Amino acid sequence: MLAVATPALGPAFSLAQAISSGLTPAARGEDGSTVLTDPNWKPIFVDNEQNETLIALSEVIIPTTDTPGAKEALVNRYLDLLLSVQPAEFQRQFLDALAFIDSESHKQFGDGFRKLSHDNQVWLLTPWAFARQPSHWTARGETGTEPPDLGEQHFEMLKSLIAVAYYGSEIGEKELGWDGEFTHGPYEGCQHSATHT
Amino acid sequence: MASSPTGRTRVASTALRTHKFMAQDVLQQSYDVIVVGSGATGGWAAKRLSEAGLKVALLEAGRAVTAREFTEHLPSYKLKYRNHSPEVMRTRPIQRQCYACMEYNYEWFVNDLENPYSTPADKPFTWQRLRVLGGRSLVWGRHSYRLSDVDFKAASRDGYDVDWPISYADLAPYYDIVERYVGISGAAEKNEMLPDGQYLPPMKMSCGEVRLRESMQRHFGRTLTMGRVAILTEPHNGRAPCHYCGPCERGCMTFSYFSSPFTTVKDAVKTGNCTLITDAIVSHVDMDTGSNKAQGVTFVQRTTKETKQLRARAVVVSAQALESTRILLNSATREYPKGLGNSSGLLGHYLMDHVVGGGASGTFDDLKVLPSGNPPHRPTGIYVVRFRNTPATGKHPNFIRGYGFQGDSMPVFNFNAPGIGAEYKKAVKLGTYNVSLGAFGESLANFDNFCEIDPNLKDAWGIPALRISMAHGKNEAAMMRDAGVTAAEMLEASGAQNIRLTTGTEMPGMAIHEVGTARMGNDPKKSVLNPFCQSHDVSNLLVTDGSCFVSSACQNPTLTMMAIAVRACDHLVERFRRNEV
Repeated sequence: MLAVATPALGPAFSLAQAISSGLTPAARGEDGSTVLTDPNWKPIFVDNEQNETLIALSEVIIPTTDTPGAKEALVNRYLDLLLSVQPAEFQRQFLDALAFIDSESHKQFGDGFRKLSHDNQVWLLTPWAFARQPSHWTARGETGTEPPDLGEQHFEMLKSLIAVAYYGSEIGEKELGWDGEFTHGPYEGCQHSATHT
Repeated sequence: MASSPTGRTRVASTALRTHKFMAQDVLQQSYDVIVVGSGATGGWAAKRLSEAGLKVALLEAGRAVTAREFTEHLPSYKLKYRNHSPEVMRTRPIQRQCYACMEYNYEWFVNDLENPYSTPADKPFTWQRLRVLGGRSLVWGRHSYRLSDVDFKAASRDGYDVDWPISYADLAPYYDIVERYVGISGAAEKNEMLPDGQYLPPMKMSCGEVRLRESMQRHFGRTLTMGRVAILTEPHNGRAPCHYCGPCERGCMTFSYFSSPFTTVKDAVKTGNCTLITDAIVSHVDMDTGSNKAQGVTFVQRTTKETKQLRARAVVVSAQALESTRILLNSATREYPKGLGNSSGLLGHYLMDHVVGGGASGTFDDLKVLPSGNPPHRPTGIYVVRFRNTPATGKHPNFIRGYGFQGDSMPVFNFNAPGIGAEYKKAVKLGTYNVSLGAFGESLANFDNFCEIDPNLKDAWGIPALRISMAHGKNEAAMMRDAGVTAAEMLEASGAQNIRLTTGTEMPGMAIHEVGTARMGNDPKKSVLNPFCQSHDVSNLLVTDGSCFVSSACQNPTLTMMAIAVRACDHLVERFRRNEV
């Protein structure tokens, strides 16, 4: 990849380019998270309908329980921002996956995913959310070699992005038990007196 | 330890006083030594020479750095793109291949658009580097291992290439000096492949790591030790021990890992003998042809692009192997048309970088330890000492030399858990107990792996850029295949499940351990530098970074580079005392 990338930097390179110096926004102490909590927030990559679908999908995958879920963690807003700066191919894959979920929803229930009842949303997604194995009845070879399920692939992509967005948020960090402090040391390691083998 | 959300309020005001560029008198002063580069080795050169009473000018291509810009306590959700910044993708397409180049700190890394280099189309090479005070010592991996005579005298054992001109006994006292000052935490193991040094108490191993250590010893007679790292486990030379926040590569408000700006460079400036000049991009060494001596350097001021000159009685280039070599190649004169100090024709050749890519991972499903949202983040892992082609294990049929493993075993959250809904949230928190090993293998010295000046490529300051031509060979490939297999075997023997192995070789540069482009030796026809890092051709020119390596061994090289730099500088001080410079 670099063999292509390096010569490609040559022609693109110009002596007139500004000499970069200075600090990253993080090192300047900027809080980059405020863009997501802006009261006038609007999607910049997905359209309003896709945004609603994304909110519904993320909340089914990571729901509000005794802790906040994906909607409150603004998973849709972070993914909208993230997708806005991704390569076109990745953007296309994401939109294809979202469209696939919606078209399956239309096929099965005659309506968009965001408008389904919670039970139907779960019913639609669950088969894609677990690994497949050959039939219990016949254990035929061919059931083990069936091509990867398209729905599973689309769903996996969306689920992993939603998980990244949720667990990467402040709400997600707290869901994992984070107390807001940065140091909990020193590391004490294995406390067992016997051996481990 | 309490801290504000960003940790910023607790940052001590230890910002280094640097000479603002640049009063004319700083340039017109006469110096004993110019040191080019302020990283791990340049910092040591500046410290050692200025503490001996020599007048030193320390030149750094980048800006100064202060503890105020550290971001180790900034949660990733405070980053606008949570580490997927388009600015990093745009300006650091090569640098971001380094795990440490992030939305937090990317400005420490060079801007690839301003700092181009080229490679042949079929020989990709990733050159990951920083231009800022301290260089890569700000983000280095901190593993610090001694080489042994099995490394220094490897050619005598297997007949490949040549021995180093120095032995372990020559370097041992300097390892001691460096380790005592830097502060290396680790454990002595009495293993002939990895000589023991001066250690602070080691960090602790997890249950999984203790299991792997015991199993490896019992089933294979191999040594797994806690990583020997330049991170303090107790107060040391005025620096506080590690507070276990984790991401050292984003800085450390307590200076608990070793980086040169807050240790060696600080000491050097404190002597009053060292003038630090930042934003000084050295383009070449200037020669006095009459006396055949280096008389100083020419540099380009980074922000104004003005060309300046500085004069001294000796020049110590310590800018990182490829960058130092680039400076010497760009210093060609009528007497040295192939590059300064290159009468041997070897300058730029024998480029090495540890081969990486082989390894294995798995899980210890029976270790029921839940991952924690509030763990002490141990900022390092374990190390498996080389066990191939040792005096004890004999010759391997498929390859010469060997490799070590870095790795760890910790409970982690299971974001890949199946399912959706409340059950998925629960499964994430149950986690998995992971274990992994990744090899660092010796890269053989090969004349055909080299760098040269690309006649058609210049950087943003008009300085001719490098063309790097390197590929790992059959020996490296065989070694990584073996590393994948042995790692999987050892994980299996220790009771791991879900084992996956990798046996490929990553492109060179990925280990960020480039060495060898100005090899040392006793014969001026077969080496660029003498055993004290002094140019065979130009007696007052030294190169004191990884360039001098004759072989790469498989140990992380920075500790050895620092020890060699100190030895070379002590020798230079002696020559000044004897009036030989």
